[in-house]
Formats: sequence, C-alpha cells, structure tokens
Amino acid sequence: MNTEIHRLLDEAFAGVEMTPDAQDLKEEIRANLIARVDELEASGVSPADAARRAIAELGDVRALLDDAPEAAPVRADYTALALRNRVRPRPAFVVRTVVLSLVAAVAVVLFVLGKSGFLDISAAGMLGLGAVVAVALGFVTADALQQETTTNHPLPAGRAIGFGLGTGGTLAALALGGTFAAHLDDLWLVVVAAVLLVASIGLLAWLGATTTNRHKAWTRQAHGAEAPNRFEEDPASAARFGVYTVGIWVLTFAAAAVLIFTVGWWWAPIALAVGLAVWMFVLGRMLFGHKS
Amino acid sequence: MTNDDAFAADLLRGHTDTIVLGVLRRRDRYGFEIYKAIRDATGGDREIKEATLYATYRRLEKDGLVESYWGDETQGGRRKYYRITDAGRAVYKSKVAAWVATRAIIDSLLDVKDTIVKETK
Repeated sequence: MNTEIHRLLDEAFAGVEMTPDAQDLKEEIRANLIARVDELEASGVSPADAARRAIAELGDVRALLDDAPEAAPVRADYTALALRNRVRPRPAFVVRTVVLSLVAAVAVVLFVLGKSGFLDISAAGMLGLGAVVAVALGFVTADALQQETTTNHPLPAGRAIGFGLGTGGTLAALALGGTFAAHLDDLWLVVVAAVLLVASIGLLAWLGATTTNRHKAWTRQAHGAEAPNRFEEDPASAARFGVYTVGIWVLTFAAAAVLIFTVGWWWAPIALAVGLAVWMFVLGRMLFGHKS
Repeated sequence: MTNDDAFAADLLRGHTDTIVLGVLRRRDRYGFEIYKAIRDATGGDREIKEATLYATYRRLEKDGLVESYWGDETQGGRRKYYRITDAGRAVYKSKVAAWVATRAIIDSLLDVKDTIVKETK
C-alpha cells in the first residue's frame, strides 16, 4: 500500500481552509489518486514516482475551491428568469391531451352509469370502457412527462412510458374491480385486478425510488435563492405549530361528537368549520406574523 | 505541444461537460473511471486535465445534471460516484444535436471531405 500519496495530498491541501466542501473534495481526490497510483505501479513505475506523477497530473486544487463561496450571483428575479426560459407547449400536445381527456371523461361517466345500473351495459362493455379510460389517461401521462416545460426537462422516453403504464395499469385494475362489483359472478375479474394493481404499484414505486432531478438549472438556482420561510428558519415554531394542530383537531372532533349526541348530527359541520378557521388563523399568525 | 494539438485540445475542452455526461450515460462512475474513459478514447495524447474535470463535476452537480454519492469501499479511500439525472440526459441530447448540426456546418465551411481527412492522418 502506497502511503506516500496521503502525504502529498496533505501538502497539496496545505493552507486551504478545511470547510466541509474542501474536505469532501479532498476525500474524492484521494480515492481517485489511489486508483491512478495503482495503475501506474501495475505498469512498472516505482511507488514513490507513481505518487509524485499522480499528484503532478492533478494540477492545482486551490483553483477549484476559489469559486466555492458562491459570491451570490445576480439575484435575477424569478419571473424574469421564467420569462427568459419560457417554453411554449406544443399545440399538437395540447389538442391530444384535451381530446383524450374528454374521451376518458365520457367513458368514466358511462362506466359509472353502467355500474350503478342506470344503463344496462354488459361486463364486456364495461371492460371496454375501462380499457378506453386506462389507455387514454396512461397515454396522456406518458405524453405530458415527455414534454419540455419552462421549469423541467423532458423525462427520458423509457421512464415516461413506465409512468404511463403504471397509471394505465392502476386505472385498468380499478375498472376491473368496478366491473366485478356490478357482475359478482365473474370471479376472475377481481383476480386479474389484484395482479394488475400490485404490478402497477410496484412499477410506480420503482420509478419513484429511482427518480432523479429533471428541473432546469435556472429553476434550481431560483429555488435556492428564495428566502426561507419562518418554519425553516425556526424549526421550534414549526414543531409548536404541529402540537397546536393536534390540539385544535382533537378539540374539534370532541366538539363535533358532543354536538352529534346532543343537538343532532347536522350540527357537526359547524364544529369542523370553526376548527378549520382556528387552525388557519394559528397558521397565519405563526408563519407570517410579526417577528417577536 | 504543436499548434495543431493545442487546437484539438481546445475543441475537446470546450465540450467537457457534454463528454462527461456522455461517459456517465451508461452507468455511474467515479472520477478516475471518467478520466480513464476520456483518456482511452483520445488515445492518451489529448487528454482533459483532471483539475478541469473536478471543476466540471462541481458545475454539473450544481446545475442538477448529475448527482453524487459515496461508494461503500472499505479499503483505501471511499469513491465519490456520479450519476446522470433526467435533466442531464435531456441536456446531453440537446448538446449532441447541436454538435451534429455545428459539425456539418464547419465541415462544409472548411470544405472537408472524407478523403482529405484520411490523407492527412
């Protein structure tokens, strides 16, 4: 094991203020230098020479850290940036989405009418309507994710199609379940629905867990430049608000229960409305009120 | 370094961001792997300096085009791996499209034909 490299790395960082950022960079460089030294030694260079060459190839590390303090660049205002980076939606995409959504809406209405018995639709007909909804909305989802927007880059085609399949699969499972509810003798419906639902949820969970950033650089910078709100500045007040929330809603539901058992159930919404109003009032005071 | 080499190195350096994104497209890699991939592709003579690459990683990460994470190596230093993001893939695609278009323009302006390139090699 070549220990020379650690000494040389310390020398290269001598006099650099060891911020977490600098420490991070130093550890990253260390692993890369070790890999380079191993390569040089394998090609027959002596350990001491290998270490010196690896460091020499590296160049000046100080220059890398100079830009670190981020001398707060032009604090361009969010709306101006959004305007400059504006991406107009493609007309064809808008038309596709509207038409498919309408088709899906009509199919949903017919499906609900069929399930509740207002219309006499066979099991096959209901499955057909369900398929129309699933395919249309699945396509709309995948299509939307592949569009470039003002704030986001388009999602890669594979992942966008995955999201579309997940959405379509979930809707198809719901349609199968709904058809089963109207035609209880077809047991296979609920089996297929369960398998499809689990598969779709699994797919969506995988996509969600492996997701990466797709915001544009300007959006990230604009978000980073936003002033933090009071709950971010002062976590204790956020925690206090959480405690108040629990208190307010426990009292609200207790009051609703009391009203239901004394004057009648139709008075319960009054308690909920008062509870919500108090909750919003507390939120407003704590998040935006005067600084104490 | 001759003038021709300097010209080629300049061209290469101008596309460091796109090159790094391209190297990361297939799988996650750590700094030395990226450096090696570029060095091997250039035949070892026109390489991009390591310090340039570290600056590139920092810029790409700040813009959200790559994400980094530490590996779980137990021996030696822990490696910092880079992963390309969806934003990175989109930027890579548009940069490649721009490069292909520019290359065609420059080829036609410099009156480059395939045969000439072969002769000078």
